[in-house]
Amino acid sequence: MKKNKSLLWLFAMILVVSAFLAACGGDDGDTGSKDSKKEDGTTEDKAADGEPQKGGTLVYGIDAPPEGLFSTAFYGIQTDFDVISLFDESLINYNENLEPEPNVASWTTEDNKVFNFKFEEGVKWHNGEELTVNDWVFAFETLADPDYDGPRYTNVQTIEGAEAYRNGEADTISGVEVINDYEVKITFDEARVNNLTNLWSYPLPESVLGDVPVAEMSASEWVRSTPIGIGPFKVDKIVPGESVEFSRFDEYWNGDVNLDKIVLRVIDNSSVVGALQNGDIDMISLQPVSGPEVEPLENVEIVTYPGLSYYYVGFKLGKFDNATQTITEELPKYQSKELRQAMMYAINRQEWVDAFFFGYANVVNKPVPTSHWNAADDAEADLNTYEYDPEKAKEMLDAAGYVDINDDGFREDPNGDEFVVKFSHYATGNPTFESRAQAITQYWEEVGIKSELEMVEVNLYYDMIEKDDPSIETFFGGWGTGTDPDPSGLWKADQLWNYPRYNNPEADQLLDDALNIDIVGTDQQKRADLYIEWQKIVNEEVPMLYIAELEEIVAMNERVGGTEFDVSGSNSPAEWFVTE
Amino acid sequence: MLKYTIRRLLGMIPMLILISIVVFTLAKLMPGDSLSGEIDPLNTNPEYIAEMREKLGYNEPLPVQYFDWITGFLQGDFGKSTRFKVPVADVIIEKIPNTLFLGVMSLLITYILAFLMGMYSGRKPYTIGDNAIAGVNYIMLAIPSFVAAVFAIYFFSFHLNWFPFGGSVDILVEEGTLDYWFSRLHHVLLPALVLGAMSTASYTQFLRNDIIENSRKDFVRTARAKGTPLKKIYNVHILRNSIIPLVTFLGFDFAALIGGAIITETIFTYPGIGQLFLDSVTSRDYPTLMALTMLLSFLTLAGNLIADILYGIVDPRIRLD
Repeated sequence: MKKNKSLLWLFAMILVVSAFLAACGGDDGDTGSKDSKKEDGTTEDKAADGEPQKGGTLVYGIDAPPEGLFSTAFYGIQTDFDVISLFDESLINYNENLEPEPNVASWTTEDNKVFNFKFEEGVKWHNGEELTVNDWVFAFETLADPDYDGPRYTNVQTIEGAEAYRNGEADTISGVEVINDYEVKITFDEARVNNLTNLWSYPLPESVLGDVPVAEMSASEWVRSTPIGIGPFKVDKIVPGESVEFSRFDEYWNGDVNLDKIVLRVIDNSSVVGALQNGDIDMISLQPVSGPEVEPLENVEIVTYPGLSYYYVGFKLGKFDNATQTITEELPKYQSKELRQAMMYAINRQEWVDAFFFGYANVVNKPVPTSHWNAADDAEADLNTYEYDPEKAKEMLDAAGYVDINDDGFREDPNGDEFVVKFSHYATGNPTFESRAQAITQYWEEVGIKSELEMVEVNLYYDMIEKDDPSIETFFGGWGTGTDPDPSGLWKADQLWNYPRYNNPEADQLLDDALNIDIVGTDQQKRADLYIEWQKIVNEEVPMLYIAELEEIVAMNERVGGTEFDVSGSNSPAEWFVTE
Repeated sequence: MLKYTIRRLLGMIPMLILISIVVFTLAKLMPGDSLSGEIDPLNTNPEYIAEMREKLGYNEPLPVQYFDWITGFLQGDFGKSTRFKVPVADVIIEKIPNTLFLGVMSLLITYILAFLMGMYSGRKPYTIGDNAIAGVNYIMLAIPSFVAAVFAIYFFSFHLNWFPFGGSVDILVEEGTLDYWFSRLHHVLLPALVLGAMSTASYTQFLRNDIIENSRKDFVRTARAKGTPLKKIYNVHILRNSIIPLVTFLGFDFAALIGGAIITETIFTYPGIGQLFLDSVTSRDYPTLMALTMLLSFLTLAGNLIADILYGIVDPRIRLD
């Protein structure tokens, strides 16, 4: 009897495990877009009217518990980065066009290979030590250390000698030359146009971490419970997994700080609306699905700003071999450009976006978020906007040979064989995912393409796509692009994350040219022209159907002022204030 | 008794080994791994992910991985959480006080409510009051606790403003002061109420049935014949007898205390073992997941043992050997 009980319990446990498997794949709204990073900027001015006020406490909400890796060098999830941005800042900022701007560090370069950086003097860490270039060099050496367990080696990889340092062949990184406490010369292994945007731009405080072995850094107290930075607020107290208390850092280098305190609270999505209404939280990023509920609240204002992520429906056009980094095989089913275009015309993307993103997203026609400086203007670049046109879709399918020959109501392929489009979408606990995926297959069925939907558990989903699993034919996905607008990592034929396995040497050449300093020099317009050329090609060839780009949504209590948001994120928290 | 206990403890070993194999296999069968959530062109590149997979041993055959894990586990090395990047033991120890506090509070609430309701029902069986209590109890049991939690937050926190909507403590209160403990109590009360009040059914009905049964026994008839007041008979003679079997429930509650309330903790953003367990499943944090499962399995088995021993103590007719 007793034994049975524990067996029962075990089964319950297994059930629980499998239930979570099914239920909790990720955060609601934008699981599909793998993270869209924010960094700084301007456009929408909200603000309670009037002059900035001194003092007061702002309660800042986040909807997922941080993991507690409060260091830019070690953090893994966006939530942790949200916490970090309140107490630390980057040496280099990005403006609303996502172009680098001096913050603590300014720079000069002749050839995009050798950069001279100059730091502001008198910048203080929260422990009172002065920030010098040595802290930055220390960060490089940490990231390039063989024991470093974070994911950011790639941001120092391009410095000359980083590879040798990592392999233990050198004691220092040869490309980094400290001139004095405020000046450093950095040499990259070759001249690239995006060397600066790729470079690691956060210092690490050598004064506290200098003696900690790199392997133990991420677990150290400094990262977990007493992190310091150079930002306008310093961390006072951390209650793991639920809240963080920040207070004004009086020795902040860059002007006055308005607020006395910021309290960061973790809040479950189910409570967000109530907490906003009651004024329990002053500011929080919203999921699109909460938008319609928050809009009617009188004491809360919603601010939206462009995001850096887009959603798409991809076609598997080939198979990729990761060992040789080449596309080894071409899959015939979706090679017809007319078929892909017709499937694009068949989807009413505006209607779909309105229904599932509540107006917090815009239809896109290219795989570059509109806010990037290299995004093509649809009209100017003469991109095909693929307005919803089922009749045209039908005509195109007829012309391409996809005709219904056995009168079952659905088209057959040009060889006369049954043609079924298999569409995959990731499944999490979010119930709207299935309906939004269903909606897409229905658009296709309306023009006579038989479609089948498969919902795949989200953790398995990207794995299957990455490995070119034969059961994935067309798939829903999303990408967040960073501040570097170069799409090479997601589009070139030798890239693992080129999920459609799009293989077009001409397009790849354009991407290479845009990064080739011998061709574009330092002329941004020249680069932009090449990227626009490339966007014309992928807009025409539609290796993926571009669906929408998301907006970031922030809800703020009316008493909050001084905030500005643009594509790179919010302005410095130093400027925020609250009125009583 | 000692012999019995030792025998049972030894018997747990193969059981735990079996559980560990099953859970390990199930965990590994889950699609994806702790790195598949990190695919992100901003932060990482494919080489890093491949390198980490190799480092973490995900490319080894399953039995090898299991063996590596169990060897460390037996030596007291629970591994390093792939998510928090610190030793699993630290992560768990950090969360245990919260969960224990919530568990004890909710159990207390369950006991008090069940005691009151059970007493009443047992004394006045088959009346409207009794049926109402049973009805309410079973409805509460049937309502999923996460639904109740959302409603409770909406009503008690946002409408009436009686309780905070989440968290375990107000961060602005200084640690160690009386206010600090008051704040903790204030924060824990609502989730404890949701958990405690929702699970009174088994205790109430158990107590009720036992009281009814006892009230028909000879000693009660004798007491009544002697003219002992009814109140005294119920509150002293019957209750004392009826409460004893309830004690054995303690054993089963043992594991529940630590196991926490997975979903309720998440909704109340109450950082405890339940929330940790859920997160470790979704982020495929195998070391944490396994350590928690083993801990909970052990506690359940130990709880069963305690329950059995308590049976023997409270009712000497049950022979354990």
